Amino acid sequence: MNIENKFQQIAQSGFNAPDGDTFLKNLHGERQRRYQKKMGIVNGFAAASMVFVLSLVTFNQLTDDPMDYASNDLKKIEVMDSETEEFVYDLAGYLVENSNDIWETLAFLDKIDFEPVATMNDGGIQ
Amino acid sequence: MKTDHELIREFQDGNNTAFDELVKRHLPNTYGFFIKFTADEVEAEDLAQDVFIKMFKALKKFRFESEFKTYLFRANINMSNTYLRRNKWRNLLHLDQAPDPGYMDTTYEDGWRRKELWDAVAKLPSRQRMVVTMRIAQEMPYKAISEIMGISENSAKVNYHHAVKALKEKLEN
Repeated sequence: MNIENKFQQIAQSGFNAPDGDTFLKNLHGERQRRYQKKMGIVNGFAAASMVFVLSLVTFNQLTDDPMDYASNDLKKIEVMDSETEEFVYDLAGYLVENSNDIWETLAFLDKIDFEPVATMNDGGIQ
Repeated sequence: MKTDHELIREFQDGNNTAFDELVKRHLPNTYGFFIKFTADEVEAEDLAQDVFIKMFKALKKFRFESEFKTYLFRANINMSNTYLRRNKWRNLLHLDQAPDPGYMDTTYEDGWRRKELWDAVAKLPSRQRMVVTMRIAQEMPYKAISEIMGISENSAKVNYHHAVKALKEKLEN
C-alpha cells in the first residue's frame, strides 16, 4: 500500500474528544498536585539548607580547648557565692590530691586564675 | 465570540476562566493530534494534559507575536518529540506492551502497524520528523507547516519528500 495513503488514513481516522469539563477538572487537579510537589521539594530544600547553616554555625562555636569552658566558669571567682566558692576549693583540693602529676595540676589551676595558686606564684603578695 | 488573544489577555489579567475556555476550544484539535500519534486514548489525554499544563505557565508570558493556534501546535510537536524519544528508550528497554487500540479502526493497518510507522518516524532527523508528523497527524498544508517551523514552503516539501522516502525504505524492508 502506498505510504501516503496510509498517512491519509491515519489523518482521517475518527476519534471522540474527551469531555471538556472532566478534562479541565483533571487538568487543574494535576496542575495543583505538581505545584504542591514542587513546593514540597522547595520547602524541603530550604529547611535542609537552614539546618545545615545552623549546624555549621554551632559546630564552629565548639572548641576542643577545655580552658574556654573552665575559664568561663571559674575566672570570676571573687564574685562567686560562698557555696560555689567552697565547691571550687574542694574541687581544687581533690584535683591536687588525686593527680598523677601535681605540677601539671598546679599549672592548670594557675592558668584558670585560681586565686590561692596565683597568690602562691606571686610569692604570697596580694 | 472572543478571540484567542482576547482570552489570553483576560487570563494574564488573572481570569482563569478564560484559560478554561481556551482549553475547551482547542482540546479537540490537540487531543486529535495525539490520538493519531499514540493510538491510545489514555496516553493521548495525558499528552494533551501535559501540553495545557505547560500552556498555563507559558501563557502568562505570551507576547502576542504569533497566533495562539501556531504556538499551541509548536508545543504539540515538542511534546510529540518527547514522546517519541521516551518511546524509543522504552522500546530499547523492552518496557512497552502492545497498546490496546481501543476505539481504533484497524482495517488500514494491513502491511505494518501504526506503532511501526511511528517508531520509524522517531528515527527520522528532527526537521523531517516534524514535517511528517504535521502531515500525518493533521494533514496540515505545507504553507502552515512552513509558518510553524519558520522555514520556506519549498523546504517543508523537500523535507517531507526525504522523510517519505526514508520511511518507505525502513518499512518495506
